[in-house]
Amino acid sequence: MSFDPKILGIACNWCTYTGADLAGTTRLHYPHNVRVARVMCSSRINPAFIFRAFVLGADGVLVGGCHPGDCHYSTGNLYARRRLAVTKKILEFAGLEPERFRVAWISASEGNIFAETVREFTEQVRNLGPQTKLAAQKRMLA
Amino acid sequence: MITKIGREKLQEFVAGLMKSGRLFAPVKEGKGTNFKLITDPQSVTLDFYNTIQSPKAVLFPQSEDLVNYNISHDGIASEPAPIDDGSRIILGVRPCDVQSFEIMDRLFNGSGIVDPYWSARRSNLTIIAYAFDRADPVDFYNAFGITGSDEQGSDILMVRDTNSFLFKAFTDKGTKLLETMPFLEKGTADDEKRMTEIVDKGRDIATRTLDTAEIHKRLAGIFDSPYWEEAAAACLNCGVCTYVCPTCHCFDIQDETLFGEGSRRKIWDSCMFSDFTLHASGHNPRTKKSQRLRQRINHKFSYYVENFGIISCVGCGRCTRSCPVNIDILTVVEEAR
Amino acid sequence: MIQIEKRLREEAKRLLETKEAAVVLAFGRGFDEEHPMPLILRKPSDAEKIVFNEYCTFNMARHLTEFPPGTKIAVAVKAADSRAVTVLIQEGKVKREDLIILGIPVAGMKDFRSGTAIDATTTGPAVNPVLYDILLADLLPEPKDVSPYDVLAEIEAMSPDDRWGFWSAEFSRCIRCYACRKACPLCYCETCFVDQAKPRWSEKSPSASSNMMFHLTRFYHLAGRCIDCGSCSRACPMDIPLYLFHKKVSKECEEMFDQAAGMCVDAKPVMVDFKVEDSDDILL
Repeated sequence: MSFDPKILGIACNWCTYTGADLAGTTRLHYPHNVRVARVMCSSRINPAFIFRAFVLGADGVLVGGCHPGDCHYSTGNLYARRRLAVTKKILEFAGLEPERFRVAWISASEGNIFAETVREFTEQVRNLGPQTKLAAQKRMLA
Repeated sequence: MITKIGREKLQEFVAGLMKSGRLFAPVKEGKGTNFKLITDPQSVTLDFYNTIQSPKAVLFPQSEDLVNYNISHDGIASEPAPIDDGSRIILGVRPCDVQSFEIMDRLFNGSGIVDPYWSARRSNLTIIAYAFDRADPVDFYNAFGITGSDEQGSDILMVRDTNSFLFKAFTDKGTKLLETMPFLEKGTADDEKRMTEIVDKGRDIATRTLDTAEIHKRLAGIFDSPYWEEAAAACLNCGVCTYVCPTCHCFDIQDETLFGEGSRRKIWDSCMFSDFTLHASGHNPRTKKSQRLRQRINHKFSYYVENFGIISCVGCGRCTRSCPVNIDILTVVEEAR
Repeated sequence: MIQIEKRLREEAKRLLETKEAAVVLAFGRGFDEEHPMPLILRKPSDAEKIVFNEYCTFNMARHLTEFPPGTKIAVAVKAADSRAVTVLIQEGKVKREDLIILGIPVAGMKDFRSGTAIDATTTGPAVNPVLYDILLADLLPEPKDVSPYDVLAEIEAMSPDDRWGFWSAEFSRCIRCYACRKACPLCYCETCFVDQAKPRWSEKSPSASSNMMFHLTRFYHLAGRCIDCGSCSRACPMDIPLYLFHKKVSKECEEMFDQAAGMCVDAKPVMVDFKVEDSDDILL
């Protein structure tokens, strides 16, 4: 059986999550690999969520937020942008493939873009294969 | 009887030991050395003063599974984790560290409650002690009546000569182990003499020392003294001292679960950490670093003496050597009056 | 350095006598000359206990957060240490008006454990404090054309797999004694994320993944704040080169957000700030 990646999606309530809803109600097809968790704003995302997702075996993490300038709380995603950029640099320097982590700004009206992003990202992660670097292993006794 | 091996044949000797049981020996790690399970004879080094971490992890690993379990919709299935008790050989333990096993025995094996993990391994352990050939300004094992070349507690004593290592067995287990070793030469009368010389030289190494008489009472008397604030002023409350210590043995039990599969684990803990004494209610009876330092010193030099009749310190100097702010345990105890 | 020691004693004595400071954070003698200790002074008569030599590498900003708010503190700082004080002021952990900063321009410090010189490969190259009230020696010429980030080239050039291999090997030695976070002047959280029980961010037992979880998150928490003093790495009993990772994160923050940590008390740390024109090229 071909590799079926597990991807954590973290989407902001106001834009990306609503966009994902729209993708559903307009019956767009997209891969089932992304499990979406909803947060009120992309700035709610603690970068440790992302590290932890990889430790718990996620093959990829996709974060969705409002377009910069469109944040429901005015500036939340502008803070998030810096945090996520540093998070990505840290993952990259640790040696994890940076392609496993992606951010997308998707508005509530962009159901098609949500579906397209999930399709693209799933393929990208599928091509990278399973994430075994950060994923917790059952330890062996010394 | 003395046996010996040329320095150049050390690897063959190590390979021989590996056949007799799992071998733990000093390996270069970072800028220092540490006891590791040996898989490659070449990795062993005997050119070291003492290891960064103590050899306690050979018997008392930092983390150990007690119970393995599986949580599912049908309930919880659990079974005790098998005790990893195969025969172990530990090569290159300094005489002061050998004493630490005896001290820990009193707690894990002799207090009426037997720790099955410790005791199973302990009875299957062969210790090859390695005499010191020089002094270090930090050590103070003399304070506890230990010298640089004591054989007490070990099965075999090893010393380093110019071009060879000399061995003398002190127990049946040690004698048998040496008999199975290829490449070991029978020592000559000259070697006997050399061994005696080197051992005597080791006994003469003078370390710092400490007046240990009535020390537990002295410490009990100053429990509430402001001295502890002063002594702990520089302390960062990291756990280095306790984790490198050969006799610190506090542990925590944690359930670590990953997607329903998990283990109940015994994990080293440190009295230097603020969450060490944190109650489930949120109350913490030991909030100040002075209280934590006082606990560590009292546990070693007072409570352990009262409970087990021995000071829980061997003077190896590791905590002083590894302390990021150079707190010296000997100075702290000396000045505690 | 003898001169600095003399000046430090004088100033500490004067500040405690005049009660301008209730506490002086300086350096004292440890168990020998080459192993000094952080010294926390409250009595003018104790000023003679002050020592200053090339092994006084402690970042005394680490102890600033131990005192109740409003305590008047005089703190002896070297170049990087002064930047840590600046970050603590920026973050509201201490008030500028409660501090008397005794600046020490100094070069040629040595690691007391290994005896090796401390230079731009393990800390920042600067020799003069950026923030001070009283200078204890003349300012020194700053080294030219020395970047704190040159040392990163080798690791940056590695493939992701090799880099993963490098860090995995380094962090496999971690014994989770938390000396790194405890030596850090900016790791002042009352409860570190790694000690939290609800939620449990990381297992307490050391393993490849839990060690990585701890260190990566700690690197993130120091992003845009780390002032490259190297205290974490010098404190590490297992010689893990944490400074390399911290340097990389600082370098990226400087490149992306155009501001180095702890250079100016009025600036906002980059991670609690934003610019509308920040780039998101690497994210999308």
